Amino acid sequence: MDYIAQGLIRSIELLLAGDPETYSAIFTTLRISTLSIIISLAIGIPLGFLLGYFEFPGKRQVRAFVDTLLALPTVVVGLFVYAFISRRGPLGELGLLFTIPGIAVAQTILITPIVISLTATAIESLDRRLQATLVTLGARGRQILITSLMEARYAVLVAAVTAYGRAISEVGISMMIGGNIKWHTRTITTAIALETGKGDFAVGMALGIVLLTLALAVNSSLTLLKKRS
Amino acid sequence: MSSLYQITNLKYRYGQHFELDVPELTIEEGTSVGFAGSNGSGKSTLLRLLAFIELPEKGTIRFDGAEVSQNNGGPKRDVTMLLQEPYLLKRSIFENVAFGLKIRNDRKDIKERVYAAMELVGMSSREFARRRWHELSGGEAQRIALASRLVLRPKVLILDEPTASVDQQSALLIKEAIVECRRQFGMSLIIASHDRVWLNSATDTIKRMHEGRIVGTGAENILSGPWNNQENGLYGKDLPNGQTLFVTKPPHTTAAGVVNPSDIVLSLLEPEGISTRNILRGIVTNMTMEGDSGDVLIEVDTGGLSLLSRLTPSAAESLQLIPGKKVWTLFKASAVDWY
Repeated sequence: MDYIAQGLIRSIELLLAGDPETYSAIFTTLRISTLSIIISLAIGIPLGFLLGYFEFPGKRQVRAFVDTLLALPTVVVGLFVYAFISRRGPLGELGLLFTIPGIAVAQTILITPIVISLTATAIESLDRRLQATLVTLGARGRQILITSLMEARYAVLVAAVTAYGRAISEVGISMMIGGNIKWHTRTITTAIALETGKGDFAVGMALGIVLLTLALAVNSSLTLLKKRS
Repeated sequence: MSSLYQITNLKYRYGQHFELDVPELTIEEGTSVGFAGSNGSGKSTLLRLLAFIELPEKGTIRFDGAEVSQNNGGPKRDVTMLLQEPYLLKRSIFENVAFGLKIRNDRKDIKERVYAAMELVGMSSREFARRRWHELSGGEAQRIALASRLVLRPKVLILDEPTASVDQQSALLIKEAIVECRRQFGMSLIIASHDRVWLNSATDTIKRMHEGRIVGTGAENILSGPWNNQENGLYGKDLPNGQTLFVTKPPHTTAAGVVNPSDIVLSLLEPEGISTRNILRGIVTNMTMEGDSGDVLIEVDTGGLSLLSRLTPSAAESLQLIPGKKVWTLFKASAVDWY
């Protein structure tokens, strides 16, 4: 059992000493997840609004499809994206494999359904009187979209935070698309997997502590937002 | 005065079984028109069509001479509607009232205009402007919702049951605000309300609706069925308090009949030995002056049925009527006209 306690002490030393390898993995994780959340919000919020606001034929089927994508296994996303961006794949020329943008693209595919689905739910659960109120006050097209999202702002933020939580904690995509390259595409989760495999618990634990702290921060803000909404 | 709305052969399906059917309706500019009728009579649906929230399935609505179509969606910014249950945006009261002006990019003197609209509905801008949307009572929220529409100075203000969920004080302030705006800006008013006395005091004319149709004008009493066969060729309907309402033979058992308030006589004592079949005891619930005629409309609750009686001021004075007073309402079974 000693090695666990020693690992814990060593991990705190690494964090306090500003170990460059550990911090490289932390910053890589933050860069990738920030990039993927920005793209997925830009795509997911308008689509989620359309799905939640309008009635159209086949809406239920679209909704069921998006909800199914919520349970996408990360390795399956990794597999498909790998197939597309590997040198033999149709998008091979873009050179995305083993790069941060490559991981971000795959993570975007993973988390955009979360943003779409939760935004649609947020819009659907808005008060029925809102639409009539906006129309009677003279709001049109984009004004209705923006004001409706503003009315559902806490619930839309919950969607964003949930998606962010999924992005920072996934390992399959980062491993398959990023290749776990030291100083380059190694993220917190892939580093933990590698270091644990090597038997170096200290680095794994240090990174685990950071990941847990991030997860705690994400979850606390989720709880706070849910209370406000 | 020119025609603001011209409706021809309007049909619109609402609910599961009803169809709004308005063969012809004209509303003149600057007038105040009331719509009365029971739940499901089609008032709200007609109002939503007049506010262009819904568009007609059949027939035409012309506004200011131009036809409203699916393509143009109607001149939504000339017309605004106050909903029965107010919805305030999740922002400050000031921002709620200013919303319509801001989306029109009409920001000149916005603060002064918002404050003036708030004062108009009896809400102190100093006290309420900074409050959050959830820090108001039902009546206050309805008045702020009204202020956010009045600040736009619309050509037409449509109000759907504006007093349904508000206190008496708010109902009075709402009436004063819309009457004042009409006087100042020549705004047209279209109002649906169950509160016949309030409606009467805020409008020039009242149109009665029943099952999707306009069945009359003025302050008629609508008697709806079902009617069951009684003795001597009369039909009747039992009221919740055990009294029976008698009418002459209806065209069908669920037909709606109309009784002119002038045909309803009030008595302080229970009459005996008279031929009138309908002698219903009740309590005076409301009294109001009727438009320009100077007559007094007395509303009497006869136990589940509210009846309006029209009296001359001297008759009302001689009976010393006040709300809460017990009276007998009298009218002949044959005073009912059928639609």
